[in-house]
Amino acid sequence: MPYSQIKKWREDKWEEHQYSSHDLNVFHDEVMKYVFDASLQKHIAEFGPVPCRYAWFVMGSAGRFEQAIISDQDHGLIYEEKSDETKRYFLSLGKELSDGLNEVGYPYCDGNVMSSNPVWSRSLIEWEEQLLKWLTEESFESIRFLLIFYDARVLMGEETYGKNLKKLIHDYVQRNPHLLDRLLENTQHFKKAVGIFHQFLTESHGSHAGSIDLKQSGFFPYVNNVRLLAMKESLEATSTLTRLNELSSMSNYKENLSWCADEFEKLLQYRLQYHKKTTENYDDIHYLNIKELNKNERKDMKHILLNGQKLQNYTQSVIKGTIET
Amino acid sequence: MEDIMFSLNSVWLVLGALLVILMQGGFILLEAGSTRMKNAGHIAGKTVFTFGLASIVFWAVGYGFIFGGNSNFFIGLSDFFYSGEQAEGMAYSTAAFFMFQLAFAGISLTIAFGGFAERAKLSAYLVFAILFSVVVYPVVAHWIWGGGWLAEHGKQDFAGSTVVHLTGAMAAFAATILLKPRIGKFNKNGTSNNIFGHNQVYTALGVIILWVGWFGFNGGSTFVVDDGFFGFVALNTNLAAGAGAVAALIISWMVLGKSDIPTILNGALAGLVAITASCAFVETWAAVLIGFVAGILVFYSVKFFDRLKVDDPIYALSVHGAAGVWGTLSTGLFATPELATVGKPGLFYGGGFSQLGVQAMGVSVSALYAFVVSFALLYAMKKVMKGLRVSEEEEIIGLDVSEHGNYGYPEAFIANEEKNRIAN
Repeated sequence: MPYSQIKKWREDKWEEHQYSSHDLNVFHDEVMKYVFDASLQKHIAEFGPVPCRYAWFVMGSAGRFEQAIISDQDHGLIYEEKSDETKRYFLSLGKELSDGLNEVGYPYCDGNVMSSNPVWSRSLIEWEEQLLKWLTEESFESIRFLLIFYDARVLMGEETYGKNLKKLIHDYVQRNPHLLDRLLENTQHFKKAVGIFHQFLTESHGSHAGSIDLKQSGFFPYVNNVRLLAMKESLEATSTLTRLNELSSMSNYKENLSWCADEFEKLLQYRLQYHKKTTENYDDIHYLNIKELNKNERKDMKHILLNGQKLQNYTQSVIKGTIET
Repeated sequence: MEDIMFSLNSVWLVLGALLVILMQGGFILLEAGSTRMKNAGHIAGKTVFTFGLASIVFWAVGYGFIFGGNSNFFIGLSDFFYSGEQAEGMAYSTAAFFMFQLAFAGISLTIAFGGFAERAKLSAYLVFAILFSVVVYPVVAHWIWGGGWLAEHGKQDFAGSTVVHLTGAMAAFAATILLKPRIGKFNKNGTSNNIFGHNQVYTALGVIILWVGWFGFNGGSTFVVDDGFFGFVALNTNLAAGAGAVAALIISWMVLGKSDIPTILNGALAGLVAITASCAFVETWAAVLIGFVAGILVFYSVKFFDRLKVDDPIYALSVHGAAGVWGTLSTGLFATPELATVGKPGLFYGGGFSQLGVQAMGVSVSALYAFVVSFALLYAMKKVMKGLRVSEEEEIIGLDVSEHGNYGYPEAFIANEEKNRIAN
């Protein structure tokens, strides 16, 4: 199926899937898989059959199974054999994939986190080396990459490749728990959206004046802190909601995190509900104009945002070991 | 002994004049720092040039209009082209007094030009410098300081919250309305963009120079050094500036969730502007309160003008206007019986509403006069000069080049020009 056809199909089916975040993400997965198949067929026709086994994974909001209606692409490749030939093959497949995704409606990633970039397209053994390097280096950039990779979810190919690499991270973290402190520092800073009088701190200038940045102020505290706790507990799940549910079922977190999944689900729902109205510009989609909310919704939203801050404080004390878990 | 006092007073007045003239340097840094690189040279240069022009106009007619004899309702009518002669019975050199007053007229004009920033033609600065110094400033100054009708009512404005700051701010207000916002300031959907200044350190340094200069502005306004009263005036001045900065930090942190630096700087200046009227009439605790309120007021005033879609690049309307009004009213509340050498004590010192009423009337009439006359003058200029504003192209390339043919930061721009040439 050519990209244009997938694009059309995606546009036609769209409406049906925009009412629940889960539904929408099942649909996104389906579309991305189609794109992968289309790219692969096109690539095989031009460059011959796939030389070895591989896994294609998505990261970012796609990895966490919480994409909005529009979301940019973040993905990478793992392949079995290390050779110049496989490298060339999978890099050009990655290029094809990025172009295809872009054409279908997933804009290129500004940070170049795509299978067309050698950093995100490697053989299994190179991936292991790279991850160990990121784990030990502890520089700003390596920590950022590590956190991005940690949300990787294999969509096509060998799921075990992803699992094994994830295990490598978990083993390292278990042996070197101080790494979590360093990761915590990296994700501490986020834009507060509720002030001391419990007022919304909206953008005061620019075209988003009157809006809050839902990504930075709403999602970041939940996503980042839940990811850290998941890493601490060696969870395999990548979705924030699943991570939360798994954490809440553990006796040591039950009391402090049981409310959290509901709040996050509400956040996903608000984004879905209010972004249908906004333009289809990727930059706009992160902003929520509070004027669009009614009184109860505002109260609800404040609650969600404040609870994000609460979760942040809680995670901080868990990681720093001031709370026994 | 009288001779010594005469000399000391004169030295004090000239020192005051020096400090106030140095404030022009503060304004250069404040205004250039709060605006973009491409206009920096222009802003610095026009400040020097318009002060020069205003000095000559003040010598020719301004001084005579304010302090001259044979006065009518609006102005005095003697002492034009002031020769430097000593007025009889003055406790200080009249020439020193002239210099001190000249410096004030220059400050009011520079405040007015805040409303012109980044878009007015150089010729508009030239013509308005003359008109403002002849028609606008002297009338308000005469009313309050030159023995005019507001002086007779006992209007308290020790060093010029109304005369200097509010008058300048009202002219700036008229100018911003007629000039319209800078390109890119407001979006189609009504939201406003932040056009960031290019150097926050300049802006802060400008504030500190103004702060220090203010000791000449307020302290010098005692005119005489007997009993060291200027020390008390300086003390009140400093307290208000400090309280303004602190209040602005607190309010911006509470409302925006972060302590905004431009707001803090505006807060210090607003404190200074507000205490200017009342520094000699109120107790120290009141000075702190007056400055504190000014720091909060300036924060909301900036938001208010932004909402009105008035583009005020260096916040002249809020810092000098809103705080000027508050400062003038504040003596009607806090002036003490011992210190109120002009007018009556304030509301909180048993003076009832009478002084507050005088202050309110004075501030409204002065503001109205300054606004209406400035608006009319600028409107006429707009017609006659075929616009007050540079063309869109000139505004985009910047006034350094469009008005002066040279960059304030040559290396920063010429390197780019060359690159573009090579690329083409």
